[in-house]
Amino acid sequence: MFNLFLAVFPEIFIINATFILLIHGVVFSTSKKYDYPPLASNVGWLGLLSVLITLLLLAAGAPLLTIAHLFWNNLFRRDNFTYFCQIFLLLSTAGTISMCFDFFDQERFDAFEFIVLILLSTCGMLFMISAYDLIAMYLAIELQSLCFYVIAASKRKSEFSTEAGLKYLILGAFSSGILLFGCSMIYGSTGATHFDQLAKILTGYEITGARSSGIFMGILFIAVGFLFKITAVPFHMWAPDIYEGSPTPVTAFLSIAPKISIFANILRVFIYGSYGATLQQIFFFCSIASMILGALAAMAQTKVKRLLAYSSIGHVGYICIGFSCGTIEGIQSLLIGIFIYALMTMDAFAIVLALRQTRVKYIADLGALAKTNPILAITFSITMFSYAGIPPLAGFCSKFYLFFAALGCGAYFLALVGVVTSVIGCFYYIRLVKRMFFDTPRTWILYEPMDRNKSLLLAMTSFFITLFLLYPSPLFSVTHQMALSLYL
Amino acid sequence: MDLIKYFTFSMIIFILGIWGILLNRRNILIMLMSIELMLLAVNLNFLVFSVSLDDMMGQVFASLVPTVAAAESAIGLAIFVITFRVRGTIAVEFINSIQG
Repeated sequence: MFNLFLAVFPEIFIINATFILLIHGVVFSTSKKYDYPPLASNVGWLGLLSVLITLLLLAAGAPLLTIAHLFWNNLFRRDNFTYFCQIFLLLSTAGTISMCFDFFDQERFDAFEFIVLILLSTCGMLFMISAYDLIAMYLAIELQSLCFYVIAASKRKSEFSTEAGLKYLILGAFSSGILLFGCSMIYGSTGATHFDQLAKILTGYEITGARSSGIFMGILFIAVGFLFKITAVPFHMWAPDIYEGSPTPVTAFLSIAPKISIFANILRVFIYGSYGATLQQIFFFCSIASMILGALAAMAQTKVKRLLAYSSIGHVGYICIGFSCGTIEGIQSLLIGIFIYALMTMDAFAIVLALRQTRVKYIADLGALAKTNPILAITFSITMFSYAGIPPLAGFCSKFYLFFAALGCGAYFLALVGVVTSVIGCFYYIRLVKRMFFDTPRTWILYEPMDRNKSLLLAMTSFFITLFLLYPSPLFSVTHQMALSLYL
Repeated sequence: MDLIKYFTFSMIIFILGIWGILLNRRNILIMLMSIELMLLAVNLNFLVFSVSLDDMMGQVFASLVPTVAAAESAIGLAIFVITFRVRGTIAVEFINSIQG
């Protein structure tokens, strides 16, 4: 009996931390004795600490992988894949929370519930990564999404924020409905919701004609639901609006954390749960369309957050290349791509948050950043070059490995489109760098120096991005382990 | 034959829910109701399949989905309330202040 609880000990801890922080926040921020203090930073630091302790519990609990097998028949599965994926998710969450503290101070954002919801959503994402049954997967996806709907609308007085929250709610609820319909079709056609049972039934299954129309519809709808959630084209309808309207830390969260966990779920369902019956064509098509749209639409953007939204859509397209292959190399390249994408995105959003002084919204505001803030300009340039895929930075490594995997399994057209759109995309990334270094704006904007958290985060991520090429083997061997344990 | 009849019924409700979201021109409460319709149709689907397969997991799933639907509508209504406070209207045409 104790094995059951030990196996989910990190989740139990983070749920307890959520509730204790919620009660702590409510009791102290409504107490007359302490004069109603705003507790956002306080709860924020405690929340960051609890995420790090959860990470410690998870990382030190490696021997539990062998005794956690009791969970397999029910709802969750812990193996190498979930181990490393959850560690990575918790690291990204910790990094993104540490970006928020300055935002709370500057914007006078008093709601401590922001951090509580982020912790709850992180717990949902931990469950999502280890989910091994359609029920558990759906419930965990909903737990994560519901928390995000609220924090996307958290700036209650701002029109942009409430509209972004509204659009995110409708988009997310619609996609969850479609996902659930797919789950019901698969359940109806096979009678199984557990991935092990689904794997035994569906692997190598040929989708032919009317006999298997239920399974076909189920897999199609689940794929569409997932593609809505990772904002792939042609299901990216309101994603740029949501990214632009939400408060910037929330946009940072939206671009990083749900994508990691939804990709983990996609890998479980489509690579383990139903290998032969997967509609590979739909992922091919969405990958190509995302890359093309991400490259072309970002050229016309004049606002920084919208540009980052479109570049994230394009990057999802590249990452889906690794998934469309279906080989172990493909999955390994997908995991490397996600890892490097999360680090680059954290870098980019930390810089956008650092430049918030006079509300940098437009790209033109970045003019002459090189003269006022040379180190920040250099860091931003490194990030943009890494997004563009210029060697010897980390972004080049991830794209190279993705195209290599695509060529290795014979998807020549995919790799060709990837390379062409990568080159087209270089244009707007380098245009940002040019604005920083060579343009002079009409009114010079001076930025305050950033706080310690963001500078530490930026230092670590830029260090990794710059020097990844020299020693990539730890990441390669970790992702190889993850990809292998996905098949077992 | 019975299974197909019930399944068609819940499929029609699901499609009505999707149309309600996509073809909505009045106000966004209709969108929330359509989302609820979609989730309800899928719930009915689960129950129908559970009875026809004589399996319990469908009913387990069907008893967990409404909790999620309820939480979602609570959050949706809260977001509509703050939208109304900021704008003074919940007509769909005005939900376009983020352009591009």
